[in-house]
Amino acid sequence: MQPLLTTRRGFVRGTATGAVLLGASGLTGCRRTAAPGIPMIPGEHSSLSDHLGFFSVDEPTIARVMAELTARGADAADLYFQHSRDNSITMEDGIISRASSSVDQGVGLRVVVGDQTGYAFTEDLSLAAMLAAARTAASIAHGGKVVPPVAYSHGQAASYYPLTQPWAEVGVTQKLPRIARLNALARAADPAVEKVTVSWADGEEAVLIVDMHGKIHTDLRPMTRLWCMVTAKKNGVTQANSANLAARQGFDWYTDERLQFVAAEAVKRTMILFEAKRPPAGELPVVLAAGASGILLHEAIGHGMEADFNRKGTSIYASMIGKKVAPDFVTIVDDATQPGERGALNIDDEGNPTEKTILVDHGVMASYLHDSISARHYKHRGTGSGRRESFRHAPLPRMRSTYMENGPHTRDEIIASVKKGIIAETFTNGQVQIGAGDFTFYIKNGWLIEDGKITAPIKDINIIGNGPEALRNVTMVANDTKLDFGGWTCGKDGQSVPVSQGMPTTLVSKMTVGGENV
Amino acid sequence: MSELLHSATAAVEMARKAGAQDAWASLSRDRSVSYTFRDGKIEKVEESTSRGLGISLYVDDRYSTHSTTDLRPDRLQAFIAEAVALTRALQPDPHRKIPDPALFKDRPTTDLERNDPAVARITREQREAWCAEMDTRAHADKRVISAESSLFSGESQGASASSNGFSGTWDGAYVGYSANVTVREGEDKRPEGSASAVGRFLAGLPEPGKIADKALGRALERLGSKKGPTLRATMVVDPEAAVSLISRALGPASAAAIQQGRSYWAGKLGQPLFGDKLTITDDPLIPRGLASRHFDGEGISAKRMPVLERGVVKNLYVDTYYGRKLGMAPTTGSASNRVVALGEHDLAALLAQAGSGIYVTSWLGGNSDSTTGDFSLGLRGHLIENGKIGAPIGEMNVTGNLPALYRSLSAVGNDPYPYSSLRAPTLVFSDVQFSGA
Repeated sequence: MQPLLTTRRGFVRGTATGAVLLGASGLTGCRRTAAPGIPMIPGEHSSLSDHLGFFSVDEPTIARVMAELTARGADAADLYFQHSRDNSITMEDGIISRASSSVDQGVGLRVVVGDQTGYAFTEDLSLAAMLAAARTAASIAHGGKVVPPVAYSHGQAASYYPLTQPWAEVGVTQKLPRIARLNALARAADPAVEKVTVSWADGEEAVLIVDMHGKIHTDLRPMTRLWCMVTAKKNGVTQANSANLAARQGFDWYTDERLQFVAAEAVKRTMILFEAKRPPAGELPVVLAAGASGILLHEAIGHGMEADFNRKGTSIYASMIGKKVAPDFVTIVDDATQPGERGALNIDDEGNPTEKTILVDHGVMASYLHDSISARHYKHRGTGSGRRESFRHAPLPRMRSTYMENGPHTRDEIIASVKKGIIAETFTNGQVQIGAGDFTFYIKNGWLIEDGKITAPIKDINIIGNGPEALRNVTMVANDTKLDFGGWTCGKDGQSVPVSQGMPTTLVSKMTVGGENV
Repeated sequence: MSELLHSATAAVEMARKAGAQDAWASLSRDRSVSYTFRDGKIEKVEESTSRGLGISLYVDDRYSTHSTTDLRPDRLQAFIAEAVALTRALQPDPHRKIPDPALFKDRPTTDLERNDPAVARITREQREAWCAEMDTRAHADKRVISAESSLFSGESQGASASSNGFSGTWDGAYVGYSANVTVREGEDKRPEGSASAVGRFLAGLPEPGKIADKALGRALERLGSKKGPTLRATMVVDPEAAVSLISRALGPASAAAIQQGRSYWAGKLGQPLFGDKLTITDDPLIPRGLASRHFDGEGISAKRMPVLERGVVKNLYVDTYYGRKLGMAPTTGSASNRVVALGEHDLAALLAQAGSGIYVTSWLGGNSDSTTGDFSLGLRGHLIENGKIGAPIGEMNVTGNLPALYRSLSAVGNDPYPYSSLRAPTLVFSDVQFSGA
């Protein structure tokens, strides 16, 4: 199974295991005692000159680069400095089979004129290299010189993911016992378990964004992920499945309860596959289980509400703002403010403040997700949704944590109302075509419902539907909304960003279910 | 010695000085340029040069890998010293050894034609002119809402060195274009069509305008698309869509997947796994091939390798580590160009033979389980009516099991898709389960 959730232009995937981050040191210690040559990332309360100094630049340097970048005119221009450290550790067959660390650092330079963008980046932070990149990015523009700011000030931002201990201070020797513990828990959970792979990832990313008006924004973004993959064998048949935890959290988040939970979840999802069958093929009612089913929102509506597609007229939702698209009890949001979530953001990647954006308000299409270009186009105050994968990419409107608010029904009522249908519970990937509105998601685990009762497990089926139609066909929404504990990665125009998604138990009266009629 | 190879050798030396018994370092430098044009004007220009170092460390029977883009000498030295210290804190792994130098021997020297010097010489004016031409052609219908045309190219150089005698360098260029067209249908629907071409040599590509024509044609073909019926029928898969369907089937053909108990290829070496219509060779030595190479990431000298012969498994992708765990000799851990043996007929003839069924032009989402081979995929395409392409259909799924599906492969076309390292022709499968209305 390859967890991969792709769309033509937007896709989400349950991130493949492996390479994320780790501070370099194998020893624990405080951030001021790191090895020489590996400077510590400045904290939330560090001074502006500390933040600039971390990237080996100062105000006069920034001013010269900004002057070069805007020498041919600009409606907007920014410098995006980024330093990322990622670590990963894998345990396979009871042995730590590999570990990795990476450092990625550079600056992206952008000039925007109307809806036209010039972009360049460099990993070399010398003045000469930055000036050369600035000239390249500026070549899109043909106007007069912009007067650069005379002084810079440090913007204030929210704090949705403070850590008591930065990842750079957590040594590999602290992590190994947690990894071994998860491995042991999964192995002990069922005698049929043959193989367990545990994959640990942690990291942090420092960003410093300079805009052409003299504002500097900084953010320090932690991220961690822990995968448990299980292979089991029973009567000559092999089955494999996995579960993972993901968040903007620190080492202390990995309590024994969390490890027990993810081990049990991975083993349960694997063992049920031995009994699971395909449902019948064709159109069926689909009950979306609370949590990860938010994948439906991400694909069926989220991408279509990204304002770039609407500004260009290529989204099926381009003419639907203010229109009734779903029953009154449907409210869908995209929210950067959920503390510690994978999709949380203090500021977006253009330095704009973030928020909880209401996409559908009691059934009425309310707001797009904006980056600065689309906010100017629509004369909108912005939603803080301009995101990028790294300094190598120009920002685009993107989702953060997308979920549906609670509705008036209960899970039991919903299941009891279905004569013949399925419950969708765990997912690997999804995809959407923005213009036609067709979207898909792949169900790894689920259940068959017959005469209002859960009767049998199902597995490995794709669901396909049409966005506006699926919204219209939402007939019941329960009061148990929650975000998925696992991590999701969204892809669009070749850029991947971390996102969260959530859902209350919800009934869609009809979608096309992959299946087999034998 | 090239500058990159010199730096790779120096990094290996730094690792040895820091206490690693063995190390393998690679450096690369890439330049990329892309132009995107939309509805009459340039939308985005991106241009950059990137570089980075990757290093694998073998320290006291422990193993780790590291990468950095901060190549300042003092930072690099500290980075490698810390990486060695981190490796010491791990656990010994008896299977982890640096690749055997015997595998580096007999490296081929044939010219793979990876580097077209014309690519680096494409001017800004030329890029804009090609984009403008694509944009004009993509708008050749009044129902077009918006069209995006892109031209992208790049050049890269790289070098690897190891503590046990490997050294090698590579370079390469690529160039391609793509077009994406959105058309209006009724009040809200905006179907789209896209097309692209990419290659190592500019001379191997069609003229850009033809790619725009194709994208527009594909968008217009979607007009009036309906959900097709739930049925079992013949499935004809377009070469471009066949690329991913074959790639999916080959995904678990590795020692890594088999050793971890996550592959339906386990125990099938020498056995029939798929039907006898399918023969696939991994060929790293094709001139101008997108994945052609003289050696792989472990330094293993490249050679042609049959993977499937008439459905029988001939070789697996075996790297040093999982090969040791399974007791198998390494072949290569990573695919190069994968070439599907061709049949005798083209799409029109195969559709005529099929008579009725579903013609798949592209997939939408879906996945497969590498352990069991169970799959379910969303699709777009057309009904096959009276042996010809009929009405457009979408919002359908195809569901089954990959080995069983490939056992029902009844014909292979003579029309391989040229713009991928996996060269797949039209595929025809009998008695496939579709879900629709």
